[in-house]
Amino acid sequence: MRLILYIGRRLLFIVPQLLGIVLVGFLLVKSIPGDPAVLMLGPTATPDAIASLHTKLGLDRSLPVQFWIYIRNLAHGDLGTSWQTTRPVLEDLVQRFPATLELVSLGLVLAVLIGVPLGLASAFNESSWLARIANFYGLGAGSLPDFWLALVLIFIFYTTLQWVPAPLGRIDLSLVPPPPVTGMLTVDSLLAGDWSAFRSAVGHLILPALTLGLINAGPILKMTQSSMEKMLQSDFSRYEVLCGMPHRLVVRHALRNALPSIVTIISVLYGFLIGGAVLVEIVFSWGGAGQYAVQGVLNSDLYPVLGFVLFSAIFSLFVYLVVDLIYFAIDPRISH
Amino acid sequence: MNAVDAALMVERLRVEFPVLGGKPKVAVRDLDLSILPGEILGLVGESGAGKTTLARAILNLPPPPGRIVAGVIQFDGKDLLRLSERELQSIRVRNISMVVPNPRGELNPLVPVGEQLASIARVHLGKDKSSARAMALEMLRAVQIPDPERRMRAYPHELSGGMAQRVVIAIALMCSPRFIISDDATSGLDVTVQAQILELLSHLARKQGSAMLFITRDIGITAHFCDRVAVIYRGEIMEIAPRESFFLSPRHPYTMLLLAAFLHNPQLRQAWTHPDASLRVNPDAGIGCAYTYRCPRAREMCHTIRPPLAERTSGHFVRCHFPLERE
Repeated sequence: MRLILYIGRRLLFIVPQLLGIVLVGFLLVKSIPGDPAVLMLGPTATPDAIASLHTKLGLDRSLPVQFWIYIRNLAHGDLGTSWQTTRPVLEDLVQRFPATLELVSLGLVLAVLIGVPLGLASAFNESSWLARIANFYGLGAGSLPDFWLALVLIFIFYTTLQWVPAPLGRIDLSLVPPPPVTGMLTVDSLLAGDWSAFRSAVGHLILPALTLGLINAGPILKMTQSSMEKMLQSDFSRYEVLCGMPHRLVVRHALRNALPSIVTIISVLYGFLIGGAVLVEIVFSWGGAGQYAVQGVLNSDLYPVLGFVLFSAIFSLFVYLVVDLIYFAIDPRISH
Repeated sequence: MNAVDAALMVERLRVEFPVLGGKPKVAVRDLDLSILPGEILGLVGESGAGKTTLARAILNLPPPPGRIVAGVIQFDGKDLLRLSERELQSIRVRNISMVVPNPRGELNPLVPVGEQLASIARVHLGKDKSSARAMALEMLRAVQIPDPERRMRAYPHELSGGMAQRVVIAIALMCSPRFIISDDATSGLDVTVQAQILELLSHLARKQGSAMLFITRDIGITAHFCDRVAVIYRGEIMEIAPRESFFLSPRHPYTMLLLAAFLHNPQLRQAWTHPDASLRVNPDAGIGCAYTYRCPRAREMCHTIRPPLAERTSGHFVRCHFPLERE
């Protein structure tokens, strides 16, 4: 019951939170120098043509009025139109956001699978060879740029070994993509029972996801290691040792206490990677949401950027809500 | 007293804390101590005297970064300092248990207290799940926790300090260990609760016939519960005697200071404090007597010769060249 009330209260706050985020996003985008009318009409445009396009786009009105119009349209599900793709932003994002989500989610799963076990292993025994590998890896993962690692992986697994398809897009061009349900090609192809499409989608997904996984395993590893070490040295772990509890049990209890900080870093990375995976998206011509937003910023294309901000804000708020529910389940102190 | 009689015997135990770029700091200095079966031995000293270090070192778990560099801890015909981790696991709590201070920080915050108790019974007594739970409940009852069925499901943060202390006592007594170390068990509690808890602890320990090392900063408490009393100063035993002898004719100047402080007697306190030493520290500990620099009776030889812990009257040992004479 308390849980339902809690979720209800959280959901209630989402609307004002989103409004605030959109306002800040709006002001930031507006403060970028560059005039979309000039970019749209090209270098030969006359001042008259520019002025009339300004009126048409509503750019001659005051900033608060422009914001009000945007919010009003938003309420009707209209996120504006991108002048680059000449399509409604909502349509573009519905297509591209799942692509990024699919990539980032798998990337993060791989990061967790690499980072958490290595972090645990190095926390157990600081002098083991596994701990040394983990330390070295933590350093490396923190200092390598992701696009560089992506290129190295492409060189190894595509150019040299030919294990994966060419790093162009999300599926072979010769294949018909499965009918969109979730927008994630791997899931959709499974739903459609289309095995060749599934194989191709996984083949395209694996390298960019591995890139993200290898890079982001670094912070997860570090967080796992440090919070686990802290918990193993804490009074209650030492008390359990004092009580002659087997090592296995002490470690399991310590892990439960370390879990909240590990979950936190994962959730932060998840929200961050929606936009932060853009370099990897570019290297693999992924056509994701991050790429879309960066194009928008570079070309003074306001609405795609705002749409992206809105989408990732909703996503992050959702992730944080889930994380809070996980805390709820782990730690009895929070529910009081 | 020989090794066969004693429940636990500490011989020449030395625990050091490494100091960055210097000589290690000695927390417990070549300490000898033996405790008879069923005996309650009080150990009194100011903070930093090495009480907790000694307590934890007995279980071969000196507080990090401390290291046991020498010594023997005889228990049950074995030297605890030379056992494997696995052998130690089967002795801790099962045969030697410890009541810790600040128990709310020592209990795992995410595990219900009933489960923490039950896991002790499962691990050390090989009980199955349901009888372990039954035993946990019985222990909560034995330490007089009100409404024990409900407390089984409580998390440590839901308990008061006194209740958490009772839980820790329940854990310490669960396996009827032959030896219990109580490390300043009631420091965080208010006086009325303190008395109840101590009463309970000593009552249950006596009932089980467990020997106990009762560590405290409060010399008054030892007068109530202990068969013998020892005074520790900077890692060394300064005086150790049966209770009556200890309180009726204390022999060591430091003991006098502790008693004066306990009695809130300013004149007596002043008499036993070195005139210009508020808290001077012997710079060359280990050569002379550790107490020289605070001792109003110190003479030339106290600075150069470390006094032995010598038996002055039957069972009454004093580490002092010039102990007080009986009046």
